[in-house]
Amino acid sequence: MDLTFEITEQVTGGVPVVSVAGEIDVATAPTLRDHLAVHEEAGAGVVVVDLLGVSFLDSTALGVLVGSFKRIRESGGDLKLVIAEPRILKVFEITDLVRVFSIFSTVGEALQDE
Amino acid sequence: MSDTVALSLPVRSDLLVLARITAATMAARADFDIEEIEDLRLAVDELCLSVVGGARSGTVRLEFTLDDATIAITCELDRRGEPDDGYVPAEPDDLSIRLIEALVDEHHRDAGTGGGRAWLSKRRSRVEH
Repeated sequence: MDLTFEITEQVTGGVPVVSVAGEIDVATAPTLRDHLAVHEEAGAGVVVVDLLGVSFLDSTALGVLVGSFKRIRESGGDLKLVIAEPRILKVFEITDLVRVFSIFSTVGEALQDE
Repeated sequence: MSDTVALSLPVRSDLLVLARITAATMAARADFDIEEIEDLRLAVDELCLSVVGGARSGTVRLEFTLDDATIAITCELDRRGEPDDGYVPAEPDDLSIRLIEALVDEHHRDAGTGGGRAWLSKRRSRVEH
């Protein structure tokens, strides 16, 4: 079991892509929240959160993503998610958040959806 | 035959992973399938979050019991002897409740010894031959 938690960022075509690897839980979710807050404050139009490297997430992580999504939407932007792992997608399905977020299976697809 | 494992942890967010590892290990040993193991990992995490809430001190006591093909997990926050830091047990949020309800067969929550207590059980779907 890999307990490494890491966030890397890059900007592609002017769109920030926040890539998360590892487990997002009550211990690590605040780090993700801090990263997303930078983009919220900068007024980024669209933010892509790449969860391809995430092996676990809980309701704390969902709370961070939903909070950021709301703030970005209020300022006219959008927060898009990239998820390929069925067990991660299942968490969004159970909570009905698949109807809230735009979810893509690759970063490229999320970036193309402009 | 019944197996019981007890875990006692100080309230620290970075230690919650130990509850997940214990649940997953017991489920794997009991021949739960991969999806059920992942369900239990998330369920025990949510169970602990529902009990610990915003507590900053105390001891989280977990008991994992494997009985035949069912794993039962109790999580209790013990705050006896802790200084009064204004802690009030918090209600779990809607997302957490939805997850627990979807992932386990049974669950409930009560006041326990004052800090809150929650319990869940999940039965293995695979039948032994």
